[in-house]
Amino acid sequence: MTFNFSFLTRYQDAFLTGLGMTLQLTLIAFSIGIVWGFVLALLRQSRLAPVRWLAALYVEFFRGTPVLIQIFWIFYCLPIFLGTDLGNFAAAVLCLSLYGGAIMSETFRAGMKSIGRDQYDACHALGLGPWTRATSVVLPQAALRALPVLLSNGIGIFKESSLVSAIGMAELMFIGTTISNRTGRPVEVLTVVALIYFVVAFPLTRAVTWLEKRILRRLAI
Amino acid sequence: MDYDFQFHYVRQAWPLLMEGLKTTIELTVAANAIALTLGFVIALLVLSKSRLVRAPFALMIEFFRCTPILVQILWFFYCVPILFGIYLDPLPMGILALGMNLACFNAEAYRAAIQSVPREQLDAGIALGFSPAQRIRYVVFPHAFRGALPVLITNGITLFQQSALVALVALTDLMYVGKQVATQTYRPIETFTTVALIYFAISFPVSRIAAWVERRLDTARA
Repeated sequence: MTFNFSFLTRYQDAFLTGLGMTLQLTLIAFSIGIVWGFVLALLRQSRLAPVRWLAALYVEFFRGTPVLIQIFWIFYCLPIFLGTDLGNFAAAVLCLSLYGGAIMSETFRAGMKSIGRDQYDACHALGLGPWTRATSVVLPQAALRALPVLLSNGIGIFKESSLVSAIGMAELMFIGTTISNRTGRPVEVLTVVALIYFVVAFPLTRAVTWLEKRILRRLAI
Repeated sequence: MDYDFQFHYVRQAWPLLMEGLKTTIELTVAANAIALTLGFVIALLVLSKSRLVRAPFALMIEFFRCTPILVQILWFFYCVPILFGIYLDPLPMGILALGMNLACFNAEAYRAAIQSVPREQLDAGIALGFSPAQRIRYVVFPHAFRGALPVLITNGITLFQQSALVALVALTDLMYVGKQVATQTYRPIETFTTVALIYFAISFPVSRIAAWVERRLDTARA
């Protein structure tokens, strides 16, 4: 078996396009997921028990089922309910955002738990409304504490985004398998695909670890 | 919305789905068995004093953690036979791929737990004349296993969910059977919802157990 990586240069543009799509999906789903995650975390603290239960059920369901089936459900089933086709980009973004929201709500919740009861009492004493309390008191502290884990969740979404290749979304994974099938050279192609993912994700995990240490030091003061 | 739900087809396909679930469970249990043992060994190697031993295993862990598991599965199915001349049936190959992935995640959990083994206990092991192997077996492992247990269980359930990806390389697990049934009956809503509920019915109680174990360990430590 001889290996030849040189033919891959022909596909350089295809790989870059795929990576671009992967990054685009990741960034959109990450942004929506953060907002949705924070809203979910607030809903889970609601005074209305049914709201709490529904939010908890949502989170548990998205965390307790394979992402692949969520993608299939959104791509194949949701359009039947909606009466219109979603298209694979919309389905991919929707799925990754809904899933991202569920995992990030847990991160926010952990961050919120560290905010003491006394702060809520202080908000009450100062006559702050629920909205001001959520955005000016809870969010800044929860966000700072949760930031490293949220970024890790973002890296997680980056990796999970490879699954949308299963519904024909032309991102890095899909383009990689297509090239691999067309050239019949899985070893070279799949190794390069893995390396591209690694080259993006690994430095990010290092950066998150560094940031985490800094934040911990800051909070310790 | 006036969709006419028909669970009749799903009921008909139930034995097939259970057949698929059996494969999913086999994958999960076997991969966990590999990862619980191999993960500990990798953790020990990563904590080795020799850089030469440490470096390759640290790189391996990072590689498995920083690439999508789907790429890893495809890599095992398409590249391992060519590179190493290892031809396995789909099920053992799936177990190998998932087991290696999980082993690397578990190694991280073990590593953190091993580092928290109190120095005095190791010293006591030496004082009692334990050989290094005995110290690992009787002092380090029980401690590390206990400390890492909540994360090990969580990783185990995550793998149960991730195992659905082997459906994409045509291994007939629950996900694959579900996709087939959905396509053949034109009833994706009923089928995919049922399949999702089956996954949920297993992973949710186990995640509760993990949370319970974690609380218990926390109280034991406090």
